[in-house]
Amino acid sequence: MNRLCKWSLTTLMTGAAAVMISGASLAAELNIIIEEVPDYDIVKKLTEKFEAANPDIKVTFDAMPFDAMRDKILTSSLAPSATYDVIIIDNPWMEEFSRAGYLTPLDDFIKAEDGYKYDDFIKAVADVGVVDGKTYGVPYYNYALGLIVRQDIFDEKGIEVPTTLEDYVSVVKELTTDDFYGAAMQPQKGYKIMEEWKNWLYAEGGELFDENGEVIINNDAAVKALDMYIDTYNTAAPKNSLNWGFDEALRAVSSGKAATMLSYNWMLPTLNAKDGMSGDLAGKFKLYEVPGGKAALGAWFWGIPANAEDKDAAWKFVSWITSPEVAKERVIAGGAPVRTSVINDKDVWEKGFGEDYYTTLQGILEDAAPLATGPHAEELIEIVGTELSAAVSGQKTVKQALDAAASGVKRTQ
Amino acid sequence: MSLRYRLILPLTLLLAAVMAYPLVFSAWISLHDYRLTRLYDVRFRGLDNYLFIFGDAPFLKAMTNTLMFVAGAVSLELVLGLGLALLLQRLVRFQNFARAVLLAPMFITPIAVGLMFRFMLSSELGVIPHYLRLMGLGVDWFNADLALFSLMLIDAWQWTPFMLLMFLAGLEALPRSPFEAAKVDGASPWMTFWHVTLPMLRPVILVALIIRALDAFKVFEYVYAITRGGPGDATEVILFHIYKTGFRFFRMGEAAAMAFVLIAITLVLVVILYSAMQRK
Repeated sequence: MNRLCKWSLTTLMTGAAAVMISGASLAAELNIIIEEVPDYDIVKKLTEKFEAANPDIKVTFDAMPFDAMRDKILTSSLAPSATYDVIIIDNPWMEEFSRAGYLTPLDDFIKAEDGYKYDDFIKAVADVGVVDGKTYGVPYYNYALGLIVRQDIFDEKGIEVPTTLEDYVSVVKELTTDDFYGAAMQPQKGYKIMEEWKNWLYAEGGELFDENGEVIINNDAAVKALDMYIDTYNTAAPKNSLNWGFDEALRAVSSGKAATMLSYNWMLPTLNAKDGMSGDLAGKFKLYEVPGGKAALGAWFWGIPANAEDKDAAWKFVSWITSPEVAKERVIAGGAPVRTSVINDKDVWEKGFGEDYYTTLQGILEDAAPLATGPHAEELIEIVGTELSAAVSGQKTVKQALDAAASGVKRTQ
Repeated sequence: MSLRYRLILPLTLLLAAVMAYPLVFSAWISLHDYRLTRLYDVRFRGLDNYLFIFGDAPFLKAMTNTLMFVAGAVSLELVLGLGLALLLQRLVRFQNFARAVLLAPMFITPIAVGLMFRFMLSSELGVIPHYLRLMGLGVDWFNADLALFSLMLIDAWQWTPFMLLMFLAGLEALPRSPFEAAKVDGASPWMTFWHVTLPMLRPVILVALIIRALDAFKVFEYVYAITRGGPGDATEVILFHIYKTGFRFFRMGEAAAMAFVLIAITLVLVVILYSAMQRK
């Protein structure tokens, strides 16, 4: 009994001491949660310059895969003292987290920052960071979807790259043979099918909600978009790829088994990289706007938790990494741009991936809308993404699936 | 306080801290509208969460999928494990080597097994469909009809060795005399197995079944790594569903209620299994 008491007391005291020590040094230490993607490597490298210029601030990154981030951010936000001083926020979480009171409004910081040029951020992206008139997130990078094609095949066969959904469907069917596919698709349940199909929905003029906020995901436009999606999956996509996400689709395209895919625009540099995953096919890929023109927009944002200890230091880092100058450096190194001035910078074109890529990207971003918004966007994506998958796999008819999606989304409201 | 109560006190306290408190707290949560993103607005809902999930099609589907998975995977493992144990028992040379090789899958972490099979069974990139195609068989392992069964096969690949290990230990511990008596009486191998081996092995089978079944209820990693519960809801299992509800949608009240229903179902099944096996 005595020994147990002593033991637990010691543990408690050690714990308390640890908390005090870390509390004392927090003023100069920024702990940042970040997703492990190519852009992170660039940010990490650039941050060495930030630390050199700000010797009183030490930056530590906690890099992890997407799936691990959401609950870590939540735990940190619920704790009396934050684990993370800076977080990155995926666009479907923006409204949810800001309404829950997890995030610091950044408007005053932005106004006070000289030469920050907030208006320079692409509007469609920056708008996602604004909830109820307050800015909670500063754009970090975009993952808007684009159409990636094997240009050499289109040139060789003399086919124009399609700009409407109808043309796209007939072209990819035409390109499909026994062991070659017109489109590598990503019909995996949840996020992946939603990211892909939302472009089809836009192309048919559909949306998730109408202007009054009513759910219209089972209207005629949605039915037609899903009918066409399923038809294309059955006739032009690799066989048995019902559970494919973007990585399998990427592999199919890079290994020369498929002619097109709808994927994140920054996959293009990856595909065209010399000595990269595409081997001899490197350089033969080209980016276009998705058929129909309007793309599903994905984007990450920098945010400062409401319970962060040193918000000034946090802002110092966020404003530095997103400043016009550093943003340019980041994009030249291969990061996905979110600033208009960077996209149109000749220097960036030359040192980056060429004028063509950046102008196409600007076209994509100017006419893009977030994957889902609202306080329950994460759940919405999962619900709709499950029903879409049920329809593609033949468990439900298109109408049944979309009706179920609509009632599921209504329930979360 | 007498010595014996004082002796169990530390353990009781420890269990209370690490088991009873979370259990009671989650029972409390299951009676409330408790959302992690709305902690300023936690409301008492009584049994609403429970009533809701019993009418909730995705929950019922996840529960059905799980029960099918447990029944399918565990019976497959039982049959295979018992067969392999009987064969291995007769193996004179290389027995230890064979045992070590057969046990290997158990030591791989399930998430790695999931990722491994995700690629091995992938129709375009995987080695298994490739060789099946050479034999003229085109099997889509993860279509809506087959996906749950494929997950059972993966589970059987990983956990049959556990059954094998249990049964082998059980077989080796059996007394020799009943077998000799059966031999003297002229019983066929099948009759010996059915009337001698199996009844004597019953306690071991019971324990192995319960341990494996409880473990199979917790299936998560294969689903997470391969299908994410898809296509549609074909492989949505209960733990994945609870994880999604609680930790991705932050609806802790509903998730807690689901967890309690899962506990109740598991307990009932264990009791049924136990009494069924004890009866004879």
